[in-house]
Amino acid sequence: MTATWAWLVLLFPLLGSLTIGLTFKALPDRTAGLIGVAAIVAAFVCGVLALIGLQGEPSESRHVASSLWEYANVGGLKIDLGIYVDPLSIFMVLVVTGVSSLIHIYSYSYMKSDQGYHRFFSYLNFFVFSMLVLVLAGNFVMLIVGWALVGFASYALISYWYRRNTATKAGMKAFVINVIGDIGLYIAAILIFKNLGSVDYGTVFEKAPEVFSTNQWEIVAICLCLLVGAFAKSAQMPFHTWLADAMEGPTPVSSLIHAATMVTAGVYLIARCHTLFELAPTAADVAAFVGLATLLIAGTIALAVTDLKRIIAYSTMSQIGYMFVGVGIGAYSAGMFHLMTHAFFKALLFMAAGSIISAMANMQDIDKMKGFRKAMPFTAATLIIGALALSGFPGMSGWFSKDEIIDFAHFRRGMYDWMWVGMLIGALMTAIYSFRIIFRILPGPACEEAQYLIDKGHVIHGEPKNPATNEVEDTEVGYPGEEHHIAEQAGGMKFAMAILAFLSIVAGVLQIPGVDEVVTKFLEPTFENSVFAHMHPSTGEAWLGLTEGGLISIAGIAIAWLLYIKRPDLPGKFRQRFSAIHTLCVNKWYGDELVDFLVTNPVKAVGRFCNRVFERFAIDGATAGVAGLTRSAGAAVRDIQSGMLRGYALLMLFGILAIAVYFLIRSL
Amino acid sequence: MSFDAPTMDYAGLSPIIALTTGLVVLVLAAVFDRIKRFGPALALLAYAVTAGCLIWQWDADVDLVSGALRLDGLAVVLSLLAVVSAAVAVLLAIGDPSETQAGRSDWLALLTGSLLGMVILTQATSMLTFFVGLELLSIPLYALCGTNLRRRESLESGLKYLIVGSVGSATLLYGLAMIYGASGATGFQEIADGLQAGDGMLTDSLTLVGVGMVAVGLAFKISIAPFHQWTPDVYQGAPTPVTAFMAVATKAAGFAIFIRFFLVALGPLVDQWDVMLAALAALSIVVGNVGALAQTSLKRMLGYSGVAQAGYMLAGIVTATQAGVDALVFYLAAYVAMNVAAFAVVVIRERQSGFSDDISTLRGLGREKPLLAWPLTIAMLALAGLPPTAGFIGKLYLIQALVDDDWTWLAVMIAIGTMISLGYYLRVVAALWMSPAEGDEAVPADGTPSDAAAAAAGIDTASLPPQIAGAQADPFADPQADRRWYLLAPAIIAMAAALFFGIIPQPLVDFAQHAGDALSVWIS
Repeated sequence: MTATWAWLVLLFPLLGSLTIGLTFKALPDRTAGLIGVAAIVAAFVCGVLALIGLQGEPSESRHVASSLWEYANVGGLKIDLGIYVDPLSIFMVLVVTGVSSLIHIYSYSYMKSDQGYHRFFSYLNFFVFSMLVLVLAGNFVMLIVGWALVGFASYALISYWYRRNTATKAGMKAFVINVIGDIGLYIAAILIFKNLGSVDYGTVFEKAPEVFSTNQWEIVAICLCLLVGAFAKSAQMPFHTWLADAMEGPTPVSSLIHAATMVTAGVYLIARCHTLFELAPTAADVAAFVGLATLLIAGTIALAVTDLKRIIAYSTMSQIGYMFVGVGIGAYSAGMFHLMTHAFFKALLFMAAGSIISAMANMQDIDKMKGFRKAMPFTAATLIIGALALSGFPGMSGWFSKDEIIDFAHFRRGMYDWMWVGMLIGALMTAIYSFRIIFRILPGPACEEAQYLIDKGHVIHGEPKNPATNEVEDTEVGYPGEEHHIAEQAGGMKFAMAILAFLSIVAGVLQIPGVDEVVTKFLEPTFENSVFAHMHPSTGEAWLGLTEGGLISIAGIAIAWLLYIKRPDLPGKFRQRFSAIHTLCVNKWYGDELVDFLVTNPVKAVGRFCNRVFERFAIDGATAGVAGLTRSAGAAVRDIQSGMLRGYALLMLFGILAIAVYFLIRSL
Repeated sequence: MSFDAPTMDYAGLSPIIALTTGLVVLVLAAVFDRIKRFGPALALLAYAVTAGCLIWQWDADVDLVSGALRLDGLAVVLSLLAVVSAAVAVLLAIGDPSETQAGRSDWLALLTGSLLGMVILTQATSMLTFFVGLELLSIPLYALCGTNLRRRESLESGLKYLIVGSVGSATLLYGLAMIYGASGATGFQEIADGLQAGDGMLTDSLTLVGVGMVAVGLAFKISIAPFHQWTPDVYQGAPTPVTAFMAVATKAAGFAIFIRFFLVALGPLVDQWDVMLAALAALSIVVGNVGALAQTSLKRMLGYSGVAQAGYMLAGIVTATQAGVDALVFYLAAYVAMNVAAFAVVVIRERQSGFSDDISTLRGLGREKPLLAWPLTIAMLALAGLPPTAGFIGKLYLIQALVDDDWTWLAVMIAIGTMISLGYYLRVVAALWMSPAEGDEAVPADGTPSDAAAAAAGIDTASLPPQIAGAQADPFADPQADRRWYLLAPAIIAMAAALFFGIIPQPLVDFAQHAGDALSVWIS
């Protein structure tokens, strides 16, 4: 029964996507939106039913593999169109469908005036379907299927406003980087099959400890390839550059895909493959160190940039860095717990940001925003709740989840103590940049747009401009235009944000040290065979850690208050004094330039070279040939020969020669 | 010395007989104006009968004509693919300028002649039938390429194909002569026996250079790099129905003989040639995929993509295992479906809008004509190997066969090639669904989405030559082309097949394994 519910979880979003996609001419906009929302809510309900079914089983048999049919049986490779339902996948299903439901409800209002309403919901439902395939996959091939499909959906949604140059470019960038990750995953799957003779989760995780010894190079290679996929999808260094640009997509997309769900797929992957990573501790350490580096670097960038959505995007990278450290050092349930709470408060922050950005006529620069506390009290409240949760203020969900990871690093001692220190510094930065947003845009005298909202009661009708380039945008096709909604005025948006705000506050009660450990207990059957399964700090240590975390969070908020309220001249002075560091951070540590230098430019050069060699050669030749034919047939032959046939013949001759020489050498 | 005529197994020969009869009828019909217009129907009838005979002989496993031909699973399966491709070409050619100008029946007779060559080639088990089949396949194709008499590119492509193809045939013949010299036999089985019996013949330079020459000759036909240069030019220049036929049917027949000759006749030499073929496959994957990135013409792009796909398929022969052959045949069948869907849409677009197949003309098609956009979309996604399409399963099958036989590096090449290929396949999909219709003034000239896509793929669009201008007032233009069933049906059926076999691949796997089983005597 559990399996049936899990299949239904997959079915509804797929049906929703197809229905909306195929009826885009027939159905009115509202209906399409409703179908989209209903499909995801239905999936969530089925997820809950699957959960109930699963919990009914005794804990040692709390995993179900189900197969619809044998997808392919080719040679020795048997692939089932199968899913694997266990606490970990159900946990992900619930987070994904739950947050998606709320974001669909939010989008129902938010995208109201968009010309591509159907397209949006069709893509969004398709994304949810792909993400669910990813988390429910029962073998590595299905995982790759889901992995590739979410990449495609993300590309489509980033480029959703296809008339924006910057959006289509950002979409391509995200896609290219994700594809590099896909190659890693492909190669990992090939190596897994080669070494273990199967790609089924069950078989692979069972056989791996028998086949591989600890840190044997094959298993390290497999894990590193898996990590390439995980880093690319989760925007960890050095594959992080795409996520900030992905903010070109509509805000609900940033909220759903680039904060709450898709970008956490890498964390899920490591947790899912923990058996493999425990056989390759080196690779696990790589994951943790890359997470640490990302969380620190992204934190500094978030302190410097002024684009509202990008600050939150860098904060996302940084928080995913925490999750990577978590699953890298063996704190699996803590990592997953942080994944969940982060999904709540980050989705909330994006929604609030989206609401403010609409009120600013799509301007995203926090330097220009002021006084929204009075203009948009509801949004302001949710923004504050989100920021408190993000900075780990005592009592909020982020406090429990982040500090659980930090504690575990300290608990493992040795070099992990360095990670502990690094993460504490990161936590301080988190609190500062979260409240930088709050203190910059909420208090103070209202800016022009906020004042307009207070006076007239609706959003200022500014000229829509591309936030990235300041070019004026056309409102004809695929751009929301001026009739944009804000949370203050739309019921759907308010509803979704209220629920997320509530969850951001209270989700922490699931994991109070010494009181209850709902998440850990729930996930226990999945991580039972882990060497870290029964290692955790004592209740006292945990509370000590929480106290530290709380103090750091309060200190960070105090520093932010000092910098942005009390002494607003200080940041400018710092900027001047440490202009080199500031430039480094504003320019995102030159990550883009580095990637350009290392990857993009060489690829472009190859492209240009090929263009010259393949195309000039052929097209110039063809034109010469055409010219010749107009004169006479005889001349044509001559011209063609002079154009490219001679070149072709030469290349062919080289080819023949090379093969002949090869065989002559073989025959010696 | 007396000469006994070989005994004839008419049941086994029935596909060839049916097709030859069809050929004769079509040639005769060319003379009679009244019958002439039923040409397509006659041709389709002939193909249907041929296909019927092939299915009737499904389980056949017989030597025909004293071992010159052999009808077995491999021959039946690949002949069927060729016949289906030819039938599609007939449908796509109805009303095509090339067909009309060349005289309908003559055109169809040429097509049927080429098909006959293919069917013979799939069954050939002797160097003589091998070469006769190959030439019978090639010569009508040279003429078909040039049948669009009013288009210079068409004439030129015919000429170019002729010259390059002749080089290929000559090389092949030279190689066959060397192998005959080394083995003293013409039958494939006898060659293998001869080579093994001869002292040191397996590593003799005569034999090995002969093997290399044959490989080169065949590589020409199925456009394996570095012998592929003619492919994009000829694909672009030839009338599109002919291109479609060439792209799919020639590959089916070419791979049939490649499999049979290398695994049966040259089977004892597998350790000598596998590395060479692997290198050629890898080179094709790289050259085809990188070359396709820069293309603006859809037909040229499909040409380069065909080079890459041929590289993937060649990898199936490298393994010299039954799994490899199965994977190859599966991929070939999927390849037929994917390319038919793509080319059918190209034909319709060309018929509607003159002679342009530039990718930018596809903009906004998704919204205007979903019925055309979907087959092309699915074809591109399938060629790119995205799930859930037949292309995905095909690649998986190939990769599995390669990994199983310790060719992991080649499997990784396929994976990387697939990833590169997304760059150009998705550009088409993006043009279809994510771009506003062409001629929309609001789009800034320097930053249309496809430009952005091209820029991301590393291409400087400004430096590309303008598309070769098509005829403006075209007497063959047919604005209703997207409503013609005979053009739409191939596109939609092929699309459905590419999807269906991606979701439920087992029937096609069985189909492919029927071909592989025929070789179970020779390979593991």
